[in-house]
Amino acid sequence: MDESLQELENELKKLQPRRAPARWLNQINRELAAELPAPARPRYATATNLGSWKWLGWRTVGLAAALALVATVGLVSLRRPVPADAPAGLAAVPTPAAPAAEPLYEPVAASNVLYDLKDEGEVKLAGDASARQVRARYVDTYTWKNPRNNASIKWTVPRDEIRVVPASYNPN
Amino acid sequence: MEATHDNGTWKDWLAAHGPKLLLCARQWTRSLADAEDVVQEAFVRYWRHQRHLPGDPQALLITSIRRAALDHARRHARRTAREEKADGGLEERDGTFEPQPGEDADRRNEIEVALQRLPAVQREVLVLKIWNELTFEQIGETLEIPANTAASRYRYALAALRKELKPACHG
Repeated sequence: MDESLQELENELKKLQPRRAPARWLNQINRELAAELPAPARPRYATATNLGSWKWLGWRTVGLAAALALVATVGLVSLRRPVPADAPAGLAAVPTPAAPAAEPLYEPVAASNVLYDLKDEGEVKLAGDASARQVRARYVDTYTWKNPRNNASIKWTVPRDEIRVVPASYNPN
Repeated sequence: MEATHDNGTWKDWLAAHGPKLLLCARQWTRSLADAEDVVQEAFVRYWRHQRHLPGDPQALLITSIRRAALDHARRHARRTAREEKADGGLEERDGTFEPQPGEDADRRNEIEVALQRLPAVQREVLVLKIWNELTFEQIGETLEIPANTAASRYRYALAALRKELKPACHG
């Protein structure tokens, strides 16, 4: 870029965009304030961090089991077989015990993104009670990391969550 | 940008970055009021559902703002030219930039007019690069164009502005 363009670029950088109106900031404040406070969140709130237990579902357990199996198979194949013609004394020497299989991958992050929320209308529950059915669609992402070599596995899975929210009617 | 991840500080973050985001949204909307609407929509969505995502929140927000602006434009495509004119259209009542003490107001106005005359595809790249401080890669991702195209649009925009503007008088 030539010098005059550079000079113009610097001149433009000195200009500050007009300040955001206070009315607009207040509007956003009101909208965000309408959000439910954390303790009042419903029980079905899903996991967004490792502090919550919900990310540890059957799928996670299944994947962890598969990883443990792969690790075990790897360790077994690494053991040297004792040659068949080895002297009896040598064969009798006990081989050092294999180190206990440690989990290679550790979960390091879990997150979910809500990308669609739809009220699917009224449904009837047992006993003629009314409820509303709400469908929330998420993308869940779980990350495991191997601290030995920094390899990581990221697993992204779509998930639909249907919430049935009881609707009560109080004529008073 | 980590500040946005802290519940109490979004106001400070938005007070600092809001003007840049509004200027950016203004490139894709027909009025300042529309720009305010789309930035609000994108920011509230980001704060509620995406603030835990890794990465630069500003780049994520700008992408979100652009999508919201495109949706907004689609929803309001039937607005008549008369309504648009009454609303201010592309002619803004207030200027684009904040007046600074001791500055040359004529020069600022001259730059604002010259910016308005730029082709929209060049102006959006210029705004994202100069005032939102995105890299050409990030601009490319936001606008769904190659980074090289973003870089050349930026150079064309600067060259067109230089042609339009007299060199600034210093001292």
